[in-house]
Amino acid sequence: MFRSEATGVSPPDWKQMYRALWRIRFFEAQVQRLAAAGEVPGFPHLSTGQEAVAVGVCAHLTREDSLFTSHRGHGHVLAKGCDVQATFAEIIGRAGGLCRGRGGSMHLVDAAHGVLGATGVVAGNLALAAGAAWAAQAKGHDNISVVFFGDGATGAGAFHETLNLAALWKLPLLFVCENNGYAEFTSRDEHSNVTQVSAFAAPYGIAASTIDGNDLLLVHARAGDAIAGVRRGDGPYLLECMTYRMAGHFVGDAQHYRPKEQVAALQARCPIERLKRHLIERGVAEAELDAIGEEARHEVLQAVERARAEPRPDPATVLDYVYGSPGLATQAP
Amino acid sequence: MAQTFIEIVRRALDEELARDPAVYLLGEDVAAGGAFGVTKGLAQKHGALRVRNTPISEAAIAGVATGAALRGLRPVLEIMFIDFATLALDCLVNQSAKYRYMSGGQLAVPMVVRTQAGAAGGAAAQHSQSLEAWFIHVPGLVVVAPSSPVEAYGLLKSAIRLDDPVLFIEHKRLYAMREVLPETPELPAIGKARVARAGKDVTVIAYSAMVRNALEAAAELASAGISIEVIDLRTLLPLDMATIGASISKTHRVVIAHEAVRNGGIGAEIAARIGYEMFDDLDAPVARVACPFAPIPFAPELEQALLPGTRDIVGAVRALSG
Amino acid sequence: MALVAVELPRIGLVMENARLVRWLKTVGDLVRQGDPLLELETEKSVVEIESTQSGRLVEILLQVDQQARVGDRVAWLETDALTAADQGRRAKSVPSDTAAEPGPPQSTAGEALHGMPAADQKPIPGRIRSSPAARRLAARHGVELARLAGSGPHGRVQLRDVQREIETQAGGTEAGFAARRPRPLSSMRRALARSMTLSSSTVPQFAVERAVDWTALQAFRAQLIAELPAGSARPSVSDFLLQAIARALHSCASLNATFSGDASSPDAALVPAQGTHIGLVVAVEDGLLVPVFHDVEQLGLAELARRRRESVARALQGKLRREELEGATISLSNLGAHGPDRFTALINPPQAAILAVGRQRDCVVASNGHVQIRPISQFTLTVDHRVADGRLAADFLATLTAIVEGDVWRVP
Repeated sequence: MFRSEATGVSPPDWKQMYRALWRIRFFEAQVQRLAAAGEVPGFPHLSTGQEAVAVGVCAHLTREDSLFTSHRGHGHVLAKGCDVQATFAEIIGRAGGLCRGRGGSMHLVDAAHGVLGATGVVAGNLALAAGAAWAAQAKGHDNISVVFFGDGATGAGAFHETLNLAALWKLPLLFVCENNGYAEFTSRDEHSNVTQVSAFAAPYGIAASTIDGNDLLLVHARAGDAIAGVRRGDGPYLLECMTYRMAGHFVGDAQHYRPKEQVAALQARCPIERLKRHLIERGVAEAELDAIGEEARHEVLQAVERARAEPRPDPATVLDYVYGSPGLATQAP
Repeated sequence: MAQTFIEIVRRALDEELARDPAVYLLGEDVAAGGAFGVTKGLAQKHGALRVRNTPISEAAIAGVATGAALRGLRPVLEIMFIDFATLALDCLVNQSAKYRYMSGGQLAVPMVVRTQAGAAGGAAAQHSQSLEAWFIHVPGLVVVAPSSPVEAYGLLKSAIRLDDPVLFIEHKRLYAMREVLPETPELPAIGKARVARAGKDVTVIAYSAMVRNALEAAAELASAGISIEVIDLRTLLPLDMATIGASISKTHRVVIAHEAVRNGGIGAEIAARIGYEMFDDLDAPVARVACPFAPIPFAPELEQALLPGTRDIVGAVRALSG
Repeated sequence: MALVAVELPRIGLVMENARLVRWLKTVGDLVRQGDPLLELETEKSVVEIESTQSGRLVEILLQVDQQARVGDRVAWLETDALTAADQGRRAKSVPSDTAAEPGPPQSTAGEALHGMPAADQKPIPGRIRSSPAARRLAARHGVELARLAGSGPHGRVQLRDVQREIETQAGGTEAGFAARRPRPLSSMRRALARSMTLSSSTVPQFAVERAVDWTALQAFRAQLIAELPAGSARPSVSDFLLQAIARALHSCASLNATFSGDASSPDAALVPAQGTHIGLVVAVEDGLLVPVFHDVEQLGLAELARRRRESVARALQGKLRREELEGATISLSNLGAHGPDRFTALINPPQAAILAVGRQRDCVVASNGHVQIRPISQFTLTVDHRVADGRLAADFLATLTAIVEGDVWRVP
């Protein structure tokens, strides 16, 4: 029914992926709503509009694969299979959140699902992901490591150091760059003469490609090929996904720096809309798709309400988890 | 048979590589033996995958070591000079130190960063610093500074077995020091200081290469009838204030000696804590012997003029005993 | 978050101040209401004080070995209630001592490169420079710092200056010096002094006396001990006496009360006790303690023996709890085999009576017209005349004697 460029990759479970897209979309909308109401500490970064990359890539990952992401990581975390309520609870700082309220939006970790961390330092996650890949390689497992980052990370030294090292050691690492044309508040052409991030790969000897990141089925297919190769031991792969941010850089950002025509055009490129049209053209009933969207919305709303009702962390525990080795915690100043 | 610091640390690494398959060494030139020869022969013995060379990429290799530790390896990363730790600071400070806490206890970073510090023979300003004070300011890190080969052997093994990230700071001038490793060497606990020499008149607190200076000062002062108690901190973070307190309640006078610059050095933290926690035991203000506020110069006369040593410890103790 | 002061409570009738033995929690600990917080040595015993609030212990004001008075603030707890008025209410309650020294001089070219201050700086007139350790030693020995010339930098008085002064003042060693000085009383002895002064000056007391024959009791006791299982507490003479007093009190219920209020005002009243609670005077290292046994009329000899053994052990270790020292209307003082033939004990306020038992002596007695030799002790009962007069006291003593000389005892 659907053309897939991948070999050895099972056909997409479009229902599950469609639901996953909506789940992220509604989740981010709730984060935005509560942030506007003052219930979200700090500054969460939304991935609205970039859902297809998260869903398409993570569809090929197992629980044991390591996922690293950036400050804009809610979508990746959900797509990897983390519990919606626990993730939201962490973002609003509840004791029962993934990280017991100690990490927040930019530092989501769920070790049980292989989400080894979001980071708030741009490019800070790249070498960590390489390290996790190295550990898998050293132990002889066929797990891989995936790291999501924005195009702004290509300005950091660590980006180049990690590409170099990953290629040298042939690490089982998939680099996924979500190129949305903006880094912080500045457009890409002011950041770099290199327009296409995938162009950085060849000098280091890394396979790469650039695709339309808002075409879920394309992302799914290309990511499937890439991941199969990485798992096989072909070495790292850099997948650049062109996409577009539909919310501002962070919640509260007034988007003064993007022309209005651009914002309207992007609505037409919404990955959920595109998948929906594609599926309807192939005979899926619109009502069924709407029902899936509605289920996802309901699931998210319930999880959010339950998360909001959870207790806040006990200040008495503030010094817990600084150290783990016995004896160090009591002695530390 | 006496062996050098380098040989004894190499032996500790060799034994740990053999004991625990999760231990990996990585760093610039480590497979070739490392800049000071500490890892010589280990790649040949344990394989190029267990003892791995890296490019000159401190930021990336610190990240790789951290990421691997998250996934169950126990990497021992070598950073050639502590001066270059600056390039790895984002990872060490923002990631390695904080992963356990930020993840709410889900993940640990059981890694060791071996590096060396201190001035010797004209290495000059960018290769001679003692930067340990920066790292005791970071919750989640552990900082260890051994004072001799035998101390380094036990402390390194203890550090490798710890489940928290450890910065293990060796000292250039100790690399040639010779000692005999006992049959069954002790593995001292991280976080506990030792009394290197008992005394009753003045407490001298030191670590790393300065412990040797303090012991020399002790011998010289003894012949003048002054008995100093030398405390070797061993671990700089967390500090063992209990051992320090027990000594000061006996002597009532204390000198802290370190090679690092005095301004904002570890001596300042220790002095502040002594002043607060042991106020009533003090018979004199807490004194510090340390490097004055300048980069380490190149010419030998200038370098010698700047570095604190045995003379300065003797002088400080005498000033307190007047 | 509110800051709540932990204040020293009053423990016992005559307590005024106490010495801190140790803190049972440290700064930073979470404390629940009812958790033991600190140990105080009062005049009578070491007492555990529980926290009346829940919160986090954020500051300790009273240090080990320091004295504090009832009502003094000894610590601060941070509780959950948030009031703006509570911010900034953190005044220290422990006084600071001599003027602080100024900071070290700025680095100059003339100083040694590695920063030790020059040793020959002049003293500042009008200020006593002294080290904390010197101050502590001086305070302990009553040495006035102002009279000393300091041998330290800036004329600072140091440990050795105080030590020298102590030795020369005594014309000998520090130990000789200590021996000639007036010795302050411990808190226990101070409390005893206050209590006995109060007793003798405010309680009108009189005594009545009987000679009591131990023969029957001794026979019963020997038999009882022979029948006891191995390892059980052996009832002592004091246990028998405690039961006898309880039973006698039961018969003479008017004596089982304490006087309260002012004799010259209408609020003077007799407060009857609920149950028979009897104190037992125990000699401890520095003085006396009187653990109280409650509801003795319900206890048999075996149980009394067990409790008495346990209480005495704890009294000797200074571990009696506050409630174990309160509530008696009468005490028993038995000075034992090496005590006097007879003695008159002073009442322990607010009790109504005290029974003093002289040593057992073989005495010649007339019995049924024959001369016999019997084991006898003088029992002297001191009674608060506001609670009872001679008739009641005599009746009580007679009843008590009859019980002690009889052979009816409640055993288990």
